[in-house]
Amino acid sequence: MPKSLLIISRQAPWSGPSAREALDIVLAGGAFDLPIGLLFLDDGVFQLAPKQDAKALQQKDLSANLQALPMFGVEDLFVCGDSAAERGLAPDSLSLEDAQVLAAREITALIDRYDQVITL
Amino acid sequence: MSTLHVLSHSPFGDDRLSSCLRLIGANDALLLTGDAVYALQPGTAPFNALIAGNPTLFVLAEDAQARAMEVPDTAKAIDYPAFVELSIHYDKVNSWL
Repeated sequence: MPKSLLIISRQAPWSGPSAREALDIVLAGGAFDLPIGLLFLDDGVFQLAPKQDAKALQQKDLSANLQALPMFGVEDLFVCGDSAAERGLAPDSLSLEDAQVLAAREITALIDRYDQVITL
Repeated sequence: MSTLHVLSHSPFGDDRLSSCLRLIGANDALLLTGDAVYALQPGTAPFNALIAGNPTLFVLAEDAQARAMEVPDTAKAIDYPAFVELSIHYDKVNSWL
């Protein structure tokens, strides 16, 4: 049984490479059939804001890649509900409908469940 | 399962510390390294949050010494060999990059 891996993505999408790199780790893990989870925390929840358009920034659309995660075998998607609420994002407005919304206490338990964790 | 959370960024103008304190578990511990030791500056908001959160707390001694940060009684100052031991003692290490 391969070790399970939780990626915690906590940076906003367009100001640096962190969000894209976290997603790349998740996709690579999914390609190798690792049990992998992805949690959006802090500014990372902005990756899930609806109606983003980074064309003017000449960057590739991250949202489209996020939507495709279940197709790549990554189905354990989580969002910190407190982070979303603090940033004025309603849970039902997030662009990742399949993601589970978790409270801080539930995130403690989530981290416990995984063998390894990477925070970017 | 237990987790060693490792912070290395200054808590001023950065929310890693507050976010970490919000989700750290009872079996977990927090290690301050690099600029994260500035959280030990008494009378500041990060320091108060750290005391209020009361996690099992370790501080990399040489980083605190270099920055003239006093390690409080509630924390344990450690060296690099002890850092390695801690990494092995806890089930996993979560470095807040």
